[in-house]
Amino acid sequence: MVRFFVLFLVLQAALFGAELTPWAQAYFVVPWTNAIAAVSAWLVTVFDPNVVAMGKVLRSTANGFAVSIESGCNGVEACIVLVAAVLAFPAPWRNKLIGLFAGILAVQGLNIVRVISLFYIGQWNLKAFEWAHLYVWQALIMLDVLVVWLVWVRTLPRDGEVGPGEPPDAPAGIDTVPAAT
Amino acid sequence: MRSPLSRFIVRVLAWLPVTFALWYVAAPLLVWPAAWLTRAIAYTAFGDLVRSIDQARATLIFTSTVRPGLAAPTAAAVTVEVNTLLYAFGMPLFAALTLAAAESRRWMILAIGYLALLPVVTWGALADFLKNIAITSGPLIASQTGFSAGQREVIAFAFQFGSLILPTVIPAIAWVMTHRTFLLRMRGQPLEAPA
Repeated sequence: MVRFFVLFLVLQAALFGAELTPWAQAYFVVPWTNAIAAVSAWLVTVFDPNVVAMGKVLRSTANGFAVSIESGCNGVEACIVLVAAVLAFPAPWRNKLIGLFAGILAVQGLNIVRVISLFYIGQWNLKAFEWAHLYVWQALIMLDVLVVWLVWVRTLPRDGEVGPGEPPDAPAGIDTVPAAT
Repeated sequence: MRSPLSRFIVRVLAWLPVTFALWYVAAPLLVWPAAWLTRAIAYTAFGDLVRSIDQARATLIFTSTVRPGLAAPTAAAVTVEVNTLLYAFGMPLFAALTLAAAESRRWMILAIGYLALLPVVTWGALADFLKNIAITSGPLIASQTGFSAGQREVIAFAFQFGSLILPTVIPAIAWVMTHRTFLLRMRGQPLEAPA
Protein backbone atom coordinates (compact mmCIF):
# COMPACT_ATOMS: atom_id res chain seq x y z
CA MET A 1 0.00 0.00 0.00
CA VAL A 2 2.79 2.45 0.91
CA ARG A 3 4.69 1.52 -2.26
CA PHE A 4 1.55 2.17 -4.30
CA PHE A 5 0.95 5.60 -2.81
CA VAL A 6 4.57 6.71 -3.10
CA LEU A 7 4.76 5.55 -6.71
CA PHE A 8 1.37 7.12 -7.44
CA LEU A 9 2.44 10.51 -6.08
CA VAL A 10 5.81 10.44 -7.86
CA LEU A 11 4.25 9.46 -11.19
CA GLN A 12 1.55 12.05 -10.83
CA ALA A 13 3.95 14.88 -10.02
CA ALA A 14 6.22 13.86 -12.90
CA LEU A 15 3.38 13.62 -15.41
CA PHE A 16 1.87 16.91 -14.25
CA GLY A 17 5.28 18.61 -14.45
CA ALA A 18 5.72 17.24 -17.97
CA GLU A 19 2.26 18.49 -18.92
CA LEU A 20 3.19 22.04 -17.96
CA THR A 21 6.27 22.18 -20.20
CA PRO A 22 5.91 24.40 -23.29
CA TRP A 23 6.60 21.41 -25.52
CA ALA A 24 3.77 19.32 -24.05
CA GLN A 25 1.45 22.32 -24.13
CA ALA A 26 2.18 23.05 -27.79
CA TYR A 27 2.19 19.49 -29.14
CA PHE A 28 -0.28 17.73 -26.88
CA VAL A 29 -2.45 19.85 -24.55
CA VAL A 30 -3.50 22.54 -27.04
CA PRO A 31 -4.30 20.12 -29.92
CA TRP A 32 -6.09 17.82 -27.46
CA THR A 33 -8.16 20.68 -26.06
CA ASN A 34 -9.04 21.86 -29.58
CA ALA A 35 -10.07 18.31 -30.45
CA ILE A 36 -12.39 18.19 -27.40
CA ALA A 37 -14.04 21.42 -28.55
CA ALA A 38 -14.41 20.03 -32.08
CA VAL A 39 -15.88 16.71 -30.89
CA SER A 40 -18.23 18.53 -28.51
CA ALA A 41 -19.43 20.82 -31.32
CA TRP A 42 -19.87 17.85 -33.64
CA LEU A 43 -21.99 16.02 -31.04
CA VAL A 44 -24.04 19.09 -30.17
CA THR A 45 -24.89 19.86 -33.80
CA VAL A 46 -26.88 16.61 -33.88
CA PHE A 47 -29.62 18.45 -31.96
CA ASP A 48 -28.47 22.08 -32.11
CA PRO A 49 -27.10 23.31 -35.46
CA ASN A 50 -26.23 26.75 -34.04
CA VAL A 51 -22.96 25.69 -32.45
CA VAL A 52 -19.43 25.99 -33.77
CA ALA A 53 -15.98 25.22 -32.42
CA MET A 54 -13.14 27.71 -32.93
CA GLY A 55 -9.92 26.40 -31.46
CA LYS A 56 -10.69 25.60 -27.82
CA VAL A 57 -13.87 27.73 -27.82
CA LEU A 58 -17.37 26.34 -28.20
CA ARG A 59 -19.71 29.10 -29.38
CA SER A 60 -23.42 29.48 -29.99
CA THR A 61 -24.11 31.32 -33.25
CA ALA A 62 -27.66 31.96 -32.03
CA ASN A 63 -26.89 34.05 -28.94
CA GLY A 64 -23.11 34.47 -28.95
CA PHE A 65 -22.56 32.58 -25.69
CA ALA A 66 -19.24 30.77 -25.65
CA VAL A 67 -17.19 28.58 -23.34
CA SER A 68 -13.42 28.30 -23.56
CA ILE A 69 -11.95 24.95 -22.53
CA GLU A 70 -9.06 25.77 -20.20
CA SER A 71 -6.65 23.77 -18.07
CA GLY A 72 -8.57 21.56 -15.67
CA CYS A 73 -11.51 21.33 -18.06
CA ASN A 74 -9.81 19.33 -20.80
CA GLY A 75 -9.64 16.13 -18.76
CA VAL A 76 -5.86 15.94 -19.07
CA GLU A 77 -5.25 16.28 -15.33
CA ALA A 78 -7.92 13.68 -14.57
CA CYS A 79 -6.25 11.31 -17.03
CA ILE A 80 -2.88 11.99 -15.40
CA VAL A 81 -4.32 10.92 -12.04
CA LEU A 82 -5.81 7.79 -13.61
CA VAL A 83 -2.60 6.90 -15.46
CA ALA A 84 -0.57 7.32 -12.27
CA ALA A 85 -3.04 5.19 -10.27
CA VAL A 86 -3.08 2.38 -12.86
CA LEU A 87 0.67 2.36 -13.41
CA ALA A 88 1.43 2.47 -9.69
CA PHE A 89 -0.89 -0.41 -8.82
CA PRO A 90 0.74 -3.86 -8.97
CA ALA A 91 -0.89 -5.63 -11.89
CA PRO A 92 0.10 -7.46 -15.09
CA TRP A 93 1.07 -5.09 -17.90
CA ARG A 94 -1.67 -6.41 -20.15
CA ASN A 95 -4.26 -5.40 -17.54
CA LYS A 96 -2.60 -2.03 -17.11
CA LEU A 97 -2.76 -1.30 -20.83
CA ILE A 98 -6.42 -2.33 -21.01
CA GLY A 99 -7.15 -0.21 -17.93
CA LEU A 100 -5.39 2.81 -19.39
CA PHE A 101 -7.18 2.57 -22.73
CA ALA A 102 -10.66 1.98 -21.31
CA GLY A 103 -10.12 4.37 -18.41
CA ILE A 104 -8.95 7.30 -20.51
CA LEU A 105 -11.87 6.69 -22.85
CA ALA A 106 -14.31 6.75 -19.91
CA VAL A 107 -12.81 9.89 -18.36
CA GLN A 108 -12.69 11.78 -21.64
CA GLY A 109 -16.22 10.64 -22.48
CA LEU A 110 -17.57 12.11 -19.27
CA ASN A 111 -15.45 15.20 -19.79
CA ILE A 112 -17.19 15.84 -23.10
CA VAL A 113 -20.50 15.51 -21.26
CA ARG A 114 -19.16 18.09 -18.80
CA VAL A 115 -18.20 20.54 -21.58
CA ILE A 116 -21.54 20.20 -23.35
CA SER A 117 -23.56 20.45 -20.14
CA LEU A 118 -21.66 23.55 -19.02
CA PHE A 119 -22.22 25.11 -22.43
CA TYR A 120 -25.98 24.84 -21.95
CA ILE A 121 -26.03 25.53 -18.21
CA GLY A 122 -24.15 28.77 -18.93
CA GLN A 123 -26.80 29.86 -21.41
CA TRP A 124 -29.49 29.15 -18.85
CA ASN A 125 -28.00 30.62 -15.66
CA LEU A 126 -24.51 32.00 -14.99
CA LYS A 127 -24.69 31.37 -11.24
CA ALA A 128 -25.52 27.71 -11.86
CA PHE A 129 -22.74 27.60 -14.45
CA GLU A 130 -20.23 28.88 -11.91
CA TRP A 131 -21.30 26.29 -9.35
CA ALA A 132 -21.32 23.42 -11.82
CA HIS A 133 -18.02 24.50 -13.37
CA LEU A 134 -16.00 25.27 -10.25
CA TYR A 135 -17.26 22.66 -7.81
CA VAL A 136 -19.74 20.02 -8.97
CA TRP A 137 -18.15 18.84 -12.20
CA GLN A 138 -14.69 18.88 -10.62
CA ALA A 139 -15.94 16.45 -8.00
CA LEU A 140 -17.83 14.32 -10.54
CA ILE A 141 -14.80 13.96 -12.81
CA MET A 142 -12.68 12.86 -9.87
CA LEU A 143 -15.42 10.46 -8.84
CA ASP A 144 -15.34 9.10 -12.38
CA VAL A 145 -11.57 8.54 -12.12
CA LEU A 146 -12.01 6.77 -8.78
CA VAL A 147 -14.85 4.58 -10.06
CA VAL A 148 -12.94 3.67 -13.23
CA TRP A 149 -9.96 2.71 -11.08
CA LEU A 150 -12.15 0.64 -8.72
CA VAL A 151 -13.76 -1.15 -11.67
CA TRP A 152 -10.33 -1.85 -13.10
CA VAL A 153 -9.03 -3.16 -9.77
CA ARG A 154 -12.02 -5.51 -9.58
CA THR A 155 -11.09 -7.00 -12.96
CA LEU A 156 -7.54 -7.83 -11.89
CA PRO A 157 -6.57 -11.45 -11.20
CA ARG A 158 -6.53 -12.06 -7.45
CA ASP A 159 -3.72 -13.66 -5.50
CA GLY A 160 -2.87 -17.02 -7.04
CA GLU A 161 -4.79 -16.29 -10.24
CA VAL A 162 -2.71 -15.80 -13.35
CA GLY A 163 -4.06 -14.42 -16.57
CA PRO A 164 -3.34 -16.16 -19.87
CA GLY A 165 0.22 -15.53 -20.97
CA GLU A 166 1.06 -13.62 -17.79
CA PRO A 167 3.73 -14.46 -15.24
CA PRO A 168 2.68 -14.69 -11.58
CA ASP A 169 2.38 -11.16 -10.30
CA ALA A 170 3.10 -9.37 -7.09
CA PRO A 171 0.15 -9.23 -4.70
CA ALA A 172 -2.18 -6.34 -5.29
CA GLY A 173 -1.77 -3.48 -2.87
CA ILE A 174 -5.17 -3.52 -1.20
CA ASP A 175 -5.04 -7.29 -0.73
CA THR A 176 -2.35 -7.05 1.90
CA VAL A 177 -4.60 -5.64 4.60
CA PRO A 178 -6.25 -7.72 7.32
CA ALA A 179 -9.85 -8.87 7.00
CA ALA A 180 -12.68 -6.44 7.59
CA THR A 181 -13.84 -5.80 11.11
CA MET B 1 -27.96 -2.89 -9.83
CA ARG B 2 -26.77 -6.11 -8.15
CA SER B 3 -23.10 -5.21 -8.23
CA PRO B 4 -21.82 -3.82 -4.93
CA LEU B 5 -19.88 -1.24 -6.91
CA SER B 6 -23.02 -0.09 -8.76
CA ARG B 7 -24.88 0.27 -5.48
CA PHE B 8 -21.97 2.17 -4.02
CA ILE B 9 -21.90 4.59 -6.98
CA VAL B 10 -25.63 5.23 -6.70
CA ARG B 11 -25.25 5.94 -2.98
CA VAL B 12 -22.38 8.35 -3.66
CA LEU B 13 -24.47 10.21 -6.24
CA ALA B 14 -27.35 10.35 -3.77
CA TRP B 15 -25.12 11.74 -1.01
CA LEU B 16 -23.33 14.33 -3.18
CA PRO B 17 -26.18 16.92 -3.32
CA VAL B 18 -26.60 16.63 0.44
CA THR B 19 -22.90 16.97 1.23
CA PHE B 20 -22.47 19.83 -1.25
CA ALA B 21 -25.39 21.73 0.30
CA LEU B 22 -24.11 21.23 3.85
CA TRP B 23 -20.58 22.13 2.76
CA TYR B 24 -21.71 25.37 1.16
CA VAL B 25 -23.80 26.42 4.15
CA ALA B 26 -21.09 25.53 6.66
CA ALA B 27 -18.20 26.76 4.51
CA PRO B 28 -17.20 29.74 6.73
CA LEU B 29 -16.84 27.39 9.67
CA LEU B 30 -15.25 24.57 7.70
CA VAL B 31 -12.51 26.74 6.20
CA TRP B 32 -11.84 28.63 9.44
CA PRO B 33 -9.07 26.22 10.57
CA ALA B 34 -7.54 26.44 7.09
CA ALA B 35 -7.61 30.23 7.37
CA TRP B 36 -5.84 29.98 10.73
CA LEU B 37 -3.21 27.65 9.22
CA THR B 38 -2.81 30.00 6.25
CA ARG B 39 -2.18 32.94 8.58
CA ALA B 40 0.36 30.96 10.59
CA ILE B 41 2.33 29.98 7.48
CA ALA B 42 1.97 33.33 5.71
CA TYR B 43 3.13 35.37 8.70
CA THR B 44 6.06 33.03 9.23
CA ALA B 45 7.25 32.41 5.69
CA PHE B 46 6.01 35.53 3.89
CA GLY B 47 5.88 38.05 6.73
CA ASP B 48 7.50 40.68 4.54
CA LEU B 49 4.69 40.38 1.97
CA VAL B 50 1.57 39.81 4.08
CA ARG B 51 0.21 42.49 6.38
CA SER B 52 -3.02 40.74 7.37
CA ILE B 53 -5.43 37.99 6.31
CA ASP B 54 -9.12 38.40 7.03
CA GLN B 55 -11.90 35.91 6.47
CA ALA B 56 -15.24 36.94 4.96
CA ARG B 57 -17.44 33.84 4.71
CA ALA B 58 -15.29 31.47 2.64
CA THR B 59 -13.13 34.22 1.14
CA LEU B 60 -9.69 35.06 2.47
CA ILE B 61 -8.66 38.68 1.97
CA PHE B 62 -4.91 39.05 1.89
CA THR B 63 -3.68 42.58 2.54
CA SER B 64 -0.13 42.72 1.29
CA THR B 65 2.73 45.07 2.03
CA VAL B 66 3.06 45.69 -1.71
CA ARG B 67 1.99 49.09 -3.04
CA PRO B 68 -0.29 49.27 -6.08
CA GLY B 69 2.05 51.71 -7.84
CA LEU B 70 5.13 53.79 -7.23
CA ALA B 71 3.03 56.96 -7.03
CA ALA B 72 0.57 55.41 -4.59
CA PRO B 73 0.57 56.67 -1.00
CA THR B 74 2.61 54.53 1.38
CA ALA B 75 -0.55 53.50 3.23
CA ALA B 76 -2.04 52.00 0.05
CA ALA B 77 -1.60 48.26 -0.32
CA VAL B 78 -2.50 45.57 -2.80
CA THR B 79 -5.22 43.22 -1.56
CA VAL B 80 -5.95 39.78 -2.98
CA GLU B 81 -9.23 37.95 -2.43
CA VAL B 82 -9.06 34.17 -2.55
CA ASN B 83 -12.19 32.03 -2.75
CA THR B 84 -11.21 29.04 -0.62
CA LEU B 85 -14.12 26.96 -1.92
CA LEU B 86 -12.05 26.51 -5.09
CA TYR B 87 -9.66 24.40 -3.03
CA ALA B 88 -12.16 22.88 -0.60
CA PHE B 89 -14.64 21.12 -2.90
CA GLY B 90 -12.95 17.82 -2.06
CA MET B 91 -14.66 17.95 1.34
CA PRO B 92 -18.17 17.14 0.06
CA LEU B 93 -16.71 14.54 -2.30
CA PHE B 94 -14.86 12.83 0.54
CA ALA B 95 -17.95 13.01 2.76
CA ALA B 96 -20.19 11.51 0.05
CA LEU B 97 -17.74 8.68 -0.58
CA THR B 98 -17.43 7.98 3.14
CA LEU B 99 -21.14 8.10 3.88
CA ALA B 100 -21.86 5.89 0.85
CA ALA B 101 -19.34 3.30 2.00
CA ALA B 102 -21.12 3.32 5.39
CA GLU B 103 -18.24 1.86 7.36
CA SER B 104 -18.67 1.53 11.11
CA ARG B 105 -16.19 4.29 12.04
CA ARG B 106 -17.53 6.75 9.45
CA TRP B 107 -17.65 9.79 11.76
CA MET B 108 -14.03 9.34 12.76
CA ILE B 109 -13.13 8.81 9.08
CA LEU B 110 -14.96 12.03 8.19
CA ALA B 111 -12.89 13.87 10.80
CA ILE B 112 -9.65 12.34 9.47
CA GLY B 113 -10.55 13.28 5.90
CA TYR B 114 -11.46 16.80 6.93
CA LEU B 115 -8.11 17.24 8.69
CA ALA B 116 -6.30 15.82 5.65
CA LEU B 117 -8.01 18.35 3.37
CA LEU B 118 -7.27 21.47 5.42
CA PRO B 119 -3.65 21.75 4.17
CA VAL B 120 -4.97 21.52 0.60
CA VAL B 121 -7.06 24.65 1.21
CA THR B 122 -4.09 26.41 2.79
CA TRP B 123 -1.79 25.41 -0.08
CA GLY B 124 -4.30 26.66 -2.64
CA ALA B 125 -4.97 29.95 -0.86
CA LEU B 126 -1.29 30.76 -0.36
CA ALA B 127 -0.32 29.77 -3.90
CA ASP B 128 -3.23 31.81 -5.25
CA PHE B 129 -2.11 34.89 -3.30
CA LEU B 130 1.54 34.49 -4.34
CA LYS B 131 0.57 33.90 -7.98
CA ASN B 132 -1.47 37.09 -7.93
CA ILE B 133 1.19 39.38 -6.52
CA ALA B 134 4.22 37.75 -8.15
CA ILE B 135 2.89 36.96 -11.61
CA THR B 136 -0.55 38.14 -12.70
CA SER B 137 -0.59 41.62 -11.16
CA GLY B 138 1.97 42.92 -13.60
CA PRO B 139 5.63 43.91 -13.42
CA LEU B 140 5.11 47.02 -11.28
CA ILE B 141 3.74 44.96 -8.40
CA ALA B 142 5.74 41.78 -9.09
CA SER B 143 9.00 43.70 -8.94
CA GLN B 144 8.28 44.74 -5.34
CA THR B 145 7.98 41.12 -4.18
CA GLY B 146 11.64 40.37 -4.84
CA PHE B 147 10.97 36.94 -6.31
CA SER B 148 13.47 35.71 -8.91
CA ALA B 149 12.36 34.23 -12.24
CA GLY B 150 12.99 30.74 -10.88
CA GLN B 151 10.92 31.42 -7.77
CA ARG B 152 8.08 32.69 -9.94
CA GLU B 153 8.22 29.40 -11.88
CA VAL B 154 7.92 27.51 -8.59
CA ILE B 155 4.95 29.68 -7.59
CA ALA B 156 3.27 29.03 -10.94
CA PHE B 157 3.77 25.28 -10.54
CA ALA B 158 2.56 25.36 -6.93
CA PHE B 159 -0.56 27.23 -8.01
CA GLN B 160 -1.33 24.85 -10.88
CA PHE B 161 -0.66 21.79 -8.73
CA GLY B 162 -2.67 23.26 -5.87
CA SER B 163 -5.66 24.13 -8.02
CA LEU B 164 -5.79 21.31 -10.59
CA ILE B 165 -4.43 18.27 -8.78
CA LEU B 166 -4.47 18.50 -4.98
CA PRO B 167 -8.15 19.44 -4.40
CA THR B 168 -9.33 16.39 -6.33
CA VAL B 169 -6.59 13.87 -5.63
CA ILE B 170 -6.17 14.26 -1.86
CA PRO B 171 -9.83 13.38 -1.11
CA ALA B 172 -9.48 10.25 -3.24
CA ILE B 173 -6.19 9.27 -1.59
CA ALA B 174 -7.60 9.93 1.87
CA TRP B 175 -10.68 7.88 1.06
CA VAL B 176 -8.71 4.92 -0.32
CA MET B 177 -6.41 4.96 2.71
CA THR B 178 -9.30 5.02 5.17
CA HIS B 179 -11.35 2.39 3.33
CA ARG B 180 -8.92 -0.42 2.70
CA THR B 181 -11.18 -3.10 4.19
CA PHE B 182 -14.12 -1.75 2.22
CA LEU B 183 -12.05 -1.97 -0.96
CA LEU B 184 -11.09 -5.51 -0.05
CA ARG B 185 -14.71 -6.51 0.22
CA MET B 186 -15.56 -4.58 -2.94
CA ARG B 187 -12.92 -6.52 -4.82
CA GLY B 188 -14.17 -9.97 -4.25
CA GLN B 189 -16.76 -10.42 -1.57
CA PRO B 190 -20.32 -9.18 -1.17
CA LEU B 191 -20.38 -5.65 0.20
CA GLU B 192 -22.53 -6.53 3.18
CA ALA B 193 -20.76 -9.80 3.99
CA PRO B 194 -19.75 -10.12 7.62
CA ALA B 195 -16.05 -10.46 8.34
